[in-house]
Amino acid sequence: MTDTPAPLPLRVDSVRIRHDESTAYTPDGVSFTVSPGEVLLILGPSGSGKSTLALALNGLIPHAIPAELQGTVTVAGANTTETTVGHLSETVSMVFQDPDSQIVTGTLLDEVAFGPENLLVPKAQVLQRAERALRRVGLWERRGENPDTLSGGGRQRLAIACALALGSPVIVLDEPTANLDPVGIEEVYAALAELVAEGDHAIVLVEHNLDAALDLVDRVLVIDRDGHLVLDGPARQTLTENVDRLVELGVWLPVSTLAALRLRTAGIPVDPLPLTPSELTEALNRVELPAPPSTVSAISTMEAAITVTDLNVTRGRSKVLHGVSLDIASGDFLAIVGENGAGKTTLLQAIAGVVRPPRSAVSINGIDPATADVRALSRAIGFVFQNPEHQFIRNTVAEELAHGLEIQHLPQAEIDDAVERMLHRFGLTAHRHQHPFLLSGGQKRRLSVGTALIAGAPVLALDEPTFGQDRERAAELLDMLAQLNADGTTVIVVTHDMQLVADYSSHVAVMREGRLLATDTTAAVLAGDLLEQAGLRHPPLARAMRALRDESWRGIARSADLP
Amino acid sequence: MTTTINPYAERVDYGRLRFLHRINPLAKLAAPIPAMVLLILARDVATPVVFFLLGVVLLLIGAHLRPRVLLLVLVLLPLLAGVLSLSFGLWADSSKLPDSTVLLQVGDYQFTTAAWMLGLATSTRLTAIIALSLVAGLTSTGTDLVRAMVQQLRVPYRIGYTALAAFRFVPRFGHELEVIRAAHRVRGMAGGRGPIAGIRRYLGYVVPLLAGAIRHAERVALAMDSRAFGAHPQRTERYVVPFRLRDLVFILLFWAATAAAFVLIPTLELP
Repeated sequence: MTDTPAPLPLRVDSVRIRHDESTAYTPDGVSFTVSPGEVLLILGPSGSGKSTLALALNGLIPHAIPAELQGTVTVAGANTTETTVGHLSETVSMVFQDPDSQIVTGTLLDEVAFGPENLLVPKAQVLQRAERALRRVGLWERRGENPDTLSGGGRQRLAIACALALGSPVIVLDEPTANLDPVGIEEVYAALAELVAEGDHAIVLVEHNLDAALDLVDRVLVIDRDGHLVLDGPARQTLTENVDRLVELGVWLPVSTLAALRLRTAGIPVDPLPLTPSELTEALNRVELPAPPSTVSAISTMEAAITVTDLNVTRGRSKVLHGVSLDIASGDFLAIVGENGAGKTTLLQAIAGVVRPPRSAVSINGIDPATADVRALSRAIGFVFQNPEHQFIRNTVAEELAHGLEIQHLPQAEIDDAVERMLHRFGLTAHRHQHPFLLSGGQKRRLSVGTALIAGAPVLALDEPTFGQDRERAAELLDMLAQLNADGTTVIVVTHDMQLVADYSSHVAVMREGRLLATDTTAAVLAGDLLEQAGLRHPPLARAMRALRDESWRGIARSADLP
Repeated sequence: MTTTINPYAERVDYGRLRFLHRINPLAKLAAPIPAMVLLILARDVATPVVFFLLGVVLLLIGAHLRPRVLLLVLVLLPLLAGVLSLSFGLWADSSKLPDSTVLLQVGDYQFTTAAWMLGLATSTRLTAIIALSLVAGLTSTGTDLVRAMVQQLRVPYRIGYTALAAFRFVPRFGHELEVIRAAHRVRGMAGGRGPIAGIRRYLGYVVPLLAGAIRHAERVALAMDSRAFGAHPQRTERYVVPFRLRDLVFILLFWAATAAAFVLIPTLELP
């Protein structure tokens, strides 16, 4: 590893970082080096400072972000505090989480050329580099198009091409797939796999989606909640030998690994410990499997709480929903899935009256959102927007909760009482006088759920509630939804996250191009090929199980159904 | 729905005849300035009509126009002038107008030829200025204008290209505003009609929109920094937008035509 004559592209020495608004140093005393061609994965629970560390690798901290950096980051022999981000970008380039905020020009070619142009690379070479970079991510044929025409995965591949065109030997990717649908994630990892295969770039990856990442990674770094580096070693060995420690640290392990651990506890010898779905399949195919536990399928006997009949929605001149009909029983946990642009969000918004559906197309316990006023609607269904900030309208947390009851003209004592209970239930009592915008991300999300439920709505609709969030915060929210659902609230979510669908939902509605392909129980959808038909993918555990030799096990898709 | 304008559209060359596409955007902006100043000051009808025709003829010959745009230039603009002449005429202070034929009488109110001519002078001035702006507007692209400003006017590239990157924000914020409005409506913020309630409603949209905008702008700035934006005083220009002799000739000819109009149009009276 140390037989390279030139200075290492990246060396991090006892680095501690404190954001100006915070008191703690995370990361705290982290040291590592990156050798040419190496693929490094940084893991850690949320709050461990993984992303902060990533931002220090090309000098954005301390140059562009107000934070204090102790220790040194050395990029190709130069101390980052003494060099500009522009010069550092020749050695370390970055790909960020949000594909939209990385695009600054009007065509793919201009976008890729943007970096080298800033570096004063001569014109002919700019074009050469741009062509090479676009070809490597498979976008050269589309070079003349506006980046807006690309899918999320396509835009993220474009961001990778932009990093390649800078000619830097190290590429840092900070949660590059957190905002993507399953196909987009696959696209990005296919592009990364090609880079890794060529071996001419070192890659530093901060990623929670381990199931996709682990095939590529040489080495992992694990940072604990306090920002200390606790593990550094070869990927497979480090993960499999420290499983218990990692679970204890709150690091998210691959779904396949967690499933294997569960099976081991149940007495099924899964060896070696798998990290990917295909490894789990292999390991399970080697052993004699017992009869699978009988899964109690939740067949709802309740009558329909929501009926949607031949719902058509047009936006401008284009029709976005084509004759959707659907029944949702009281107490269901329904997931609406589909590719980007399949009409999922529009369907959810039409059901909840956020966009007005045509008359008599939707009924929520007898209420038609096309004609109901806000008061009646908020008693029938609560809607949580993707970005909770969008729906905050008052100046304090308590007022925000009270608002839904004030428009019902309830007596003040009753309102105060209900607000108090909600504050307590969602752990917001200490923040009652705070402005909703000043809450943390997780608190904002909880408040938005609280406001949606306070008027007593038995149905809760959520648009992409886990989008762009880290795994831990997503799990916190989902557990809360599961609890609400167990208490009788009907939950409808739009989501890209197939493992969420498998683990939490009772029913799935699959959409494609504005049409509803089918609605069925989650088990039935995961057992069939509907997801592929809709341009989606099975979640990791289902993928592993579906490839098993033992047919009786193929239907298992959720960790909870394992013995 | 109208076609959306793409500020990043590439310059297309439509051949020698459609010469306007080959002129430097700065030349196309500079050429009509004296004429526009003259139009602001003019009080007659003939001057604006002459310049309106000049703009339209230039566009018809020198620009590649799609049918929809052709319709705008040839039908909608004159129609606009006609409609506006009537409404401007209605607003005219009749006590200061000379006596003239009464065209229409409603009760005490008289709509006279003089009032109409005054309205016509104003409306044609407006449409003439629009026609002259379209000469540059319909034949240049946003990117070329920024490039020309950086290359010829020595505008710092950091400002020029940041402005261009900011164009991307517009549709994004449009969409975000739509979502916020829907969110506030379902939460029952629609309460009340009339301008005061309307203003309050819009103020409510400002905070979430601004919060989102600032976050987005910060992210874009980090992404641009990471790609060496601003690392050097200059950057490589792959597209040169030259300022050639023909651009100078275009400006001078335009100015000459403006001067000729100033001298030759007999009715042109400046205040």
